[in-house]
Amino acid sequence: MKPHRIGIIGVGQTKYVTRRDDVILPELAREAAVIALEDAGIEFKDIDAIVFSLALDALEGVEGAEKWCAGTVGGFRKPFLRVHTGGATGGSAVHTGFFHIASGLFNCVLVLGAEKMGETHEAQNVLNQIFDPIYERQVAINAVNMCSFQAMRHMKKYGTTEYHLALVAVRSRKNALRNPYAHIKKEITVEEVLNSRVICYPLKLYDCCPRSTGACAVVMASERFIRKLNKRDVAWIKGVASCTNTYFMGDRMDDSGINDHADAEGLFLAAKRAYEMAGISDPKKEIEVAEIYAPFTTTELSAVEALGFCEKGESGISNERGVFDIDGKIPVNPSGGVLTANPISVTALARVAEAALQVMGKAEERQVEKARTAVATGEGGSLQFYTVTVLSDEM
Amino acid sequence: MKDDLIFIAQRWDIEFKHAAGETASTFFKAIMQRREILGRLCPKCKRVLLPPRSFCERCFVETSEWVKVGGEGKIQSFTIVYEKFEGLPPPPYAIAYVLLDGASTAMVNFVKGLDLNNLDQAIKKIKIGAKVKVAFKRKREGRITDFWYELV
Amino acid sequence: MKVAIIGVGQTSYGNKKHQSIDELVFEATKKALDDSGLEREEIESVVTAGSDALDGRGISNMVIAGGSGAYLKDEVKVADGGIYGLILGYLRVASGVFDNSLIVSWTKSSEVSTDLVSNLSFEPLYLRSCGLNSITSLALQTSTYIGRADVKDEDAAKVVLKNRENGLKNPLSHPLQKPSIKEINSSRFVSYPLRESYLPPESDGACALVIASKKRAKSLKKNCAWILGLGWVIDEYYAGDLIVETRHGVSLPLLKRSSEMAYKMAGVENPISEIDVAEVSDVTPYHEMMIYEALGFCRDREGKVLIRDGTTKMGGGLPVNPSGGILSSNPIFTSSLVRVAEGALQVMRKAGKRQVKNAKVALAQGFTGMSTQGSCVVILGS
Ligand SMILES: [Zn+2]
Repeated sequence: MKPHRIGIIGVGQTKYVTRRDDVILPELAREAAVIALEDAGIEFKDIDAIVFSLALDALEGVEGAEKWCAGTVGGFRKPFLRVHTGGATGGSAVHTGFFHIASGLFNCVLVLGAEKMGETHEAQNVLNQIFDPIYERQVAINAVNMCSFQAMRHMKKYGTTEYHLALVAVRSRKNALRNPYAHIKKEITVEEVLNSRVICYPLKLYDCCPRSTGACAVVMASERFIRKLNKRDVAWIKGVASCTNTYFMGDRMDDSGINDHADAEGLFLAAKRAYEMAGISDPKKEIEVAEIYAPFTTTELSAVEALGFCEKGESGISNERGVFDIDGKIPVNPSGGVLTANPISVTALARVAEAALQVMGKAEERQVEKARTAVATGEGGSLQFYTVTVLSDEM
Repeated sequence: MKDDLIFIAQRWDIEFKHAAGETASTFFKAIMQRREILGRLCPKCKRVLLPPRSFCERCFVETSEWVKVGGEGKIQSFTIVYEKFEGLPPPPYAIAYVLLDGASTAMVNFVKGLDLNNLDQAIKKIKIGAKVKVAFKRKREGRITDFWYELV
Repeated sequence: MKVAIIGVGQTSYGNKKHQSIDELVFEATKKALDDSGLEREEIESVVTAGSDALDGRGISNMVIAGGSGAYLKDEVKVADGGIYGLILGYLRVASGVFDNSLIVSWTKSSEVSTDLVSNLSFEPLYLRSCGLNSITSLALQTSTYIGRADVKDEDAAKVVLKNRENGLKNPLSHPLQKPSIKEINSSRFVSYPLRESYLPPESDGACALVIASKKRAKSLKKNCAWILGLGWVIDEYYAGDLIVETRHGVSLPLLKRSSEMAYKMAGVENPISEIDVAEVSDVTPYHEMMIYEALGFCRDREGKVLIRDGTTKMGGGLPVNPSGGILSSNPIFTSSLVRVAEGALQVMRKAGKRQVKNAKVALAQGFTGMSTQGSCVVILGS
């Protein structure tokens, strides 16, 4: 297989907030598109195809809401495709944009989406509907407690504590202060996290992400297109991979320890494939910044282990040592991550966008020094779908 | 126009009749008629799947026979919910994945019969590895909530 | 890079109350794998295609993952009709990253009111409260066409008769009675000008394909269906914008555009003589005639001529929908992938009693969205 030379040349994000009552969903998506196109230095007419990142229709209240947005975001009479893997949707959308160009059919693809979940009365009610109506839904599972199950197993297996979870929340909040797009911009202490009210034990209020509204877009292009444009700030896509795990979480909870719900096995496999494609053999040394899809503190702990940033079970202690701080060995979520903004449809896309900004050297106040190779992840379903994207400033 | 915007209230109210299929129907009937929990055996990897499925996604073959699993098992993971979520029961309640004796995969359900008002007291009793037994509703109607777990 | 369809798997279509949704998917996937000769272990990519709202699940590929063979595989869902799954599968294999891919689509409309779900496809500000659903929006489109192209009720009845008679030869078809022209002509209007007999049945079913790179496909040394051309575009969401244009222009301008994209890629210059068989989305009989025009099988407004002179019948110059089409079986979200599957069976010479003789080039066509907002064309060759 010949190497693919495909890069991100433009990034656009709106500020993530609780609600946006001044615009409808298509208009919100267009805001991000306009910013990304301007960043890339191109116009709507230069776009060959569009990939739309939209997760749960029920959160928008319109079935197939991407079709409502299509014309407004420049899709009129263009190839247009929507992907949906729950929280991982944005990662899947970037990969789909990559495959559009890698197929040889297209040179410039707009990947974008928008989220207006602020208009649903209760998001967790919708998220309960992702579970099986025959065997599981009536047992009151939702997106919070599916992660509680993960936390409990991680604690039991490795001795991780609620204190370790709190460290993740504190760091994310601190980083978010530097990010103008973050939704939650208020520092907290470990004590405040530990004393916040219990939502689903052991997860407390500050272990959880907010519900955010906002849009995100990236422009992806072929080497030929980039050369013609004479573009210098490029985040090259070095590796893309995803992995789908089993639906029923109980299948990941036997005593074998294999494919364990504590361990994000799907992320481990996706990372392995993406690293291989990117030629990365030692992620600890070669990855210089990571944007991880972790809507709950516990998800990040399992994720850094699966990504090979530390050994299994050592994420808690690594957090104590500051390994993942913005000036640490492998800075994780310098943007503040999902704990400070979670517009589900575009959350994983924003991870890629933030990672791209890092390797382009355009992350401003949240820039990690000398970050030249970055990894961005997505996670969706019952900790079931994982996407991994490796980016670099080098072609 | 900052303060004079219009909001259109809408509900998604779609009724579904999900076909449980022959496999899940057999499982629910065994609960209704005989208070038995049945799993499905994969002929290739020999796992006993619970909840039962008609095929094994790993080996990609049909599961071959019904296996009655034990009425007791071990908690593999749990949570206690203290937040009121729309559409879900009033808190607090505990839910757990339990590996029933003879099964290869864990099945989720409520854990009842435990005072949850004091978290610290509750988590002294409910733990990963703790033994539970299956308890059945008196009037069963072919739903997963026809049974629940209780600590032994 | 060239990509080929190497395996086709379909359930039969109809009411599938004995199977849960993932069991339906498992059946089709297993059949496609068996047909391709590949084991699940060899599969590198899975693309699923379905509708959460029809399935009553927030993220429907969660439950579908197992049955679609996706366990620990690189899988992605297009939240759209099955033919869009084929497109993404093609892009993934053509990129060279994957050697092969499964493509799986499913529909279980017997579990839900599709009228209600399609109404929710209309945004709540201007459209949802105006009596719109999939049927009434197709009726609006049809009445514009009738006025413009002078199509008769009898022409529509002939399309229905043709496709339903074809469907009787398809063992997978939704079980329906053989219709008489009198029954078709006299059935009640559901939404004028659409009669009850002009609307497809609602079917449950699943369809799966295995596609592979040129190298892999050649190594199998068997008949396969080469993907020669693809075209897909989306049009305005607000059908009112289109109706104005359609009155003065061609039928289904966006389908014309996507067919041009596919023809260009496949090198097709004269569709009526180069294409041997077509499987199109006859969501109503009038739409089949509009499709003829947009695909360039005839001139604008002359779709009715191909029906009147029998060109698109079995044995005619260009048989359309030998499988019976959507008017015979309609697993809604999956119907467009069924068109590709049937087109593939034709060029692989595996279409049994519905086989078109010497079929070398097939065209498959699908729609997405309300009022056929998006459309897709796939050209297959033997
Ligand atoms: Zn097995």
